[in-house]
Amino acid sequence: MSKTETAAGVKDPSKLTFESVFTRRKILAAYWLVVLLAVPLWWKYTSIDRLSLPEARVQSVASKQWHSPIRVHIKSEVPAHPAEVVAADVSKLLGEDLKDVDSVSIDFVSKSTPDTYQVRLHNNVDHTSLIGRQLSIGMLPEDDDESIQMSRLRLASILRHMLVPPPPRATSSTQRVVKYSPRYRLAFTLLNEDSATGKAAISWDLQQSMGQYLGPSLDRFKVLHNFTVESQIQFHAPLAFAPKTVEHEGKTVHGLTHEDLTVFVNSAEWTLSSSVSNDPVLHFVLFVPSANHTPLHILDNEGKPSDSNAFILPQWGGIVIVNRPLPHLSSAALKRPFETFRAQLLALLGVPELPPADIKSDHPESFSDWQLDALIRQRTGENVKDSQETLESIVKLVNQIQNMPVGKDVKGDVQSALDALERAFEVGSSSAARALQYSAEALKLSSRAFFNPNNLGLLYFPAEHKYAVYTPLFASVAAPLVAAVIRELLAWRRARREQVAAGEKTAEKPKSD
Amino acid sequence: MFWRNNILAVLLLCCTWCLATSEEFHEALTFRPLQDGRLATRFTFTTLLRGAYPRDPSTLQEEDESQHYAIFPLALGQVLREYAVTELHLTLNAGKWDYDHWGYPDEPGVGTGAELWAWMGESAARSVDERWKGLRNALSGQFCASLGSLDEQRTTSPELTFRPEGSLPQWGTTHQLRHGTLPSEHVCTENLTPFLKLLPCKSLTGIASLLNPHRLFDADWHGLGVHVRYLENEGIEVRLSFQSVFDPVRYSNGRRDWSLRSVFDRVIDRSCPIAHSSEIRVAIPKEETAVAITPDSYTTHAGFVYFNVSNASKPLDISMSWPDEQKFEYATVSSAVPLTHVSVRRTLKGSSQSRGRLSVSITNHMPITIQTSYLESMPWLLQFYLHSLQIYSNGVSRDDLISIVSYIPSVPHVRPTLFQAILTLPPKSTLHLSMDVIKPFLRYTEHPPDAQRGWDLPPAVLVPLLHSNSSTLDPGLSNPPSGFEQLRLPRRMYTPVLLVDLATPDFSMPYNVIIMSCTLIALIFGMVFNLLTRKFTLIRVSPEPK
Repeated sequence: MSKTETAAGVKDPSKLTFESVFTRRKILAAYWLVVLLAVPLWWKYTSIDRLSLPEARVQSVASKQWHSPIRVHIKSEVPAHPAEVVAADVSKLLGEDLKDVDSVSIDFVSKSTPDTYQVRLHNNVDHTSLIGRQLSIGMLPEDDDESIQMSRLRLASILRHMLVPPPPRATSSTQRVVKYSPRYRLAFTLLNEDSATGKAAISWDLQQSMGQYLGPSLDRFKVLHNFTVESQIQFHAPLAFAPKTVEHEGKTVHGLTHEDLTVFVNSAEWTLSSSVSNDPVLHFVLFVPSANHTPLHILDNEGKPSDSNAFILPQWGGIVIVNRPLPHLSSAALKRPFETFRAQLLALLGVPELPPADIKSDHPESFSDWQLDALIRQRTGENVKDSQETLESIVKLVNQIQNMPVGKDVKGDVQSALDALERAFEVGSSSAARALQYSAEALKLSSRAFFNPNNLGLLYFPAEHKYAVYTPLFASVAAPLVAAVIRELLAWRRARREQVAAGEKTAEKPKSD
Repeated sequence: MFWRNNILAVLLLCCTWCLATSEEFHEALTFRPLQDGRLATRFTFTTLLRGAYPRDPSTLQEEDESQHYAIFPLALGQVLREYAVTELHLTLNAGKWDYDHWGYPDEPGVGTGAELWAWMGESAARSVDERWKGLRNALSGQFCASLGSLDEQRTTSPELTFRPEGSLPQWGTTHQLRHGTLPSEHVCTENLTPFLKLLPCKSLTGIASLLNPHRLFDADWHGLGVHVRYLENEGIEVRLSFQSVFDPVRYSNGRRDWSLRSVFDRVIDRSCPIAHSSEIRVAIPKEETAVAITPDSYTTHAGFVYFNVSNASKPLDISMSWPDEQKFEYATVSSAVPLTHVSVRRTLKGSSQSRGRLSVSITNHMPITIQTSYLESMPWLLQFYLHSLQIYSNGVSRDDLISIVSYIPSVPHVRPTLFQAILTLPPKSTLHLSMDVIKPFLRYTEHPPDAQRGWDLPPAVLVPLLHSNSSTLDPGLSNPPSGFEQLRLPRRMYTPVLLVDLATPDFSMPYNVIIMSCTLIALIFGMVFNLLTRKFTLIRVSPEPK
């Protein structure tokens, strides 16, 4: 009946070409095709610029162990100690001692070249001296086993101390040394707690004292660091706390306990440095307590005034307290404070100490070539290790934070740092000074790459914001697309089921018939 | 006590001797009672680094010499040397200086907000602009002020108005001026604290101990200044100044009596031990009423009373009173004679958000012709139509009274307008100057957080000068009028700042746009998609009844 009606006037829509199921599915597929094709494009234009870092190279460089060889040549004037035998003996002793230290190896060579350390053995037991890289050491002349053994043990111990200074025992001393930087600013400040109360130093011969007491040491540091020196005088620098009053030998003195020392620097009131450059600053403060706090002493653990009136603040600088100074501090009056400053400076910069044995150095007012070399080796090793660690951290960080962009300059810095590190490894065995330069450069470049501000570019534009912006468009577009797919799927399933049912019917028909 | 004072005196002597070689420190405090009952105070702390030279910019690539100072502030010295600045002036002011009633200020820099200008030598190593950028960033860190935003869009070089106050060393290169104003900056405690740290005696002893932030920032007008200049044959001078205008009538029951205690809530307990001179000056009012000043340990000279703080007995509290006056009578407006030679009013007319008219009226109170330089250094937030500039004097158009010295039009988003002119002011008359301006459209991101407030525009600066031709003097005048001599000293006058209302968008606009376009796209998409994939079937509506 319906067929006749259709035939009579209206066409059956399902018979139209654009109404066929197949066309509709093609249209739907075309839409989905466009969406799928757009995904890579969308991905490309919204993804973050992440250049690939040379990870393999970083891994290989970072796994390298820093190693600096030391060559020692022994010359003997003592018949009981032939040079070769001593060398073999001492080498064995040192080998045992240094088996945990793998960054240094000590070789005894028979030929002396300019970069070898020379050890001259002589008869005078009481006389041990350093001239440049030559160590003259007295050996016991007796040839009984005991004295021979004693002399060689002593030689081995001194050599160990001077070539590979043992790490400081206390943890506070290891944290005391400032991080390596090619340039430091030394800020000297004469701080008067309150100059209006009378006991005050109003001026000082700083430049003269600097040259006299610190100049030689600063000159010796030239290979490692450059220094910018500045100085100022402050006339009112109040303490943030009141010092304790203690009775000592019938007199009232003022004391600073160890807790006080940690909060001694009153950064809110003292203007010690400005921020004009990024070089690390080492402060040296000559503190003059006010009349009501004079005399001011540092208290030991039992609460008694200790002999020392100076202390180091780790990685910050040194402070020397001067009680009852003259209004003008001449360079003679500044001798003791500045010698303390020098000791503090050497400690802060990590100069190793000479072994406890009584050794006459040719640089009594600063430090010997042996100490300098040991410091250079130490700093190079640290720099190499730090830059290796930094490079590894960059790679790790970049892998961990998928949102972090990696720009051209970061990649360039990482590559240059790797180049510098490789060059440092190359020259490591031949020139300590050049190795230090390369290692410092590697450290600078790697930390610049790590702290590159562009790395933070997308930290404030998280993916959630992106979705928030896209949702109004995508949700409303996706709904009909998905709904249409579901509808078509359902229709297809129904059609199939009907087809199957129809097939079964036709199959069953003969049976039933 | 005597013994202690003695020691102190010896100490003082000693330190004066040893410091005389290089550095000097002078502190002074000036009080000036004003005719409207207010009290102008001005602290100056001057440090002279004798024999020092500014850094030659051609040595900028080399290592600088080490800096050793005793009194001179190291923090400031470092900034000066790092950027090789020859002369530097920084002022941070709050309030409007009332020239008509208060007269010329002791420190000329009284423009509202922050103003920074510097003279720097040219150098091939680091350009002046690069160093100017470094300088303003360093100072903004030093003084906790947002000077960093004094960027290229606000920097001009108005050399006619801002002449060097010191001397410029001869290095074989020319010096350049950089000037920027930020009228919306406000001075407050966070600016005073770093300022006090630059003083050798902090705010603990001497005159500086009177700098009590609670009282200073309660004043009707207050401002601090840092001025560095090089004086040939002398050295480098740093002058730190703090000016304020108090209203004692408000504090003391309608009388205008004041004392250190009543004004600052502090007295001077101790003198600064390193000051070479430390004095307090009080101007004696010219009016007839008698005044009493205590303590009486003062000397009088040229209309001022002088106290030497280091000699005076402590605690020192200076007071001034008008014993014959029961209550301060405010002068009526009509009888008040303006204290300056010239009065300026500047207004922005028009209510539209796209156009307006800038109008300046300058009144010459003197019976002689005065010339004045006129500077507008305007950010591109207001753009001038210079062709519409009109000048009227007594209702008559007088284009001959202006001569434009330089005009650099603004470039939106890049640089400000610089307009410098010389105006001739006929005796006892008012000059009206007006010009059409347009207000540009800002980019969405260029608006400040409080966009509806509008933008502060920097003050115009005038420097009244005496006309070079003396024949312009009124022939009927036998004697030169009072204040005639004063005019020989060129002094800057700042107009009040203006506020311009720019077209501000609805800041939720971007999200609205996103929503709107998303909705449209979704609708169109849905329609098309539906039409393409709709299945049409025939449904018989109602079978015909049999």
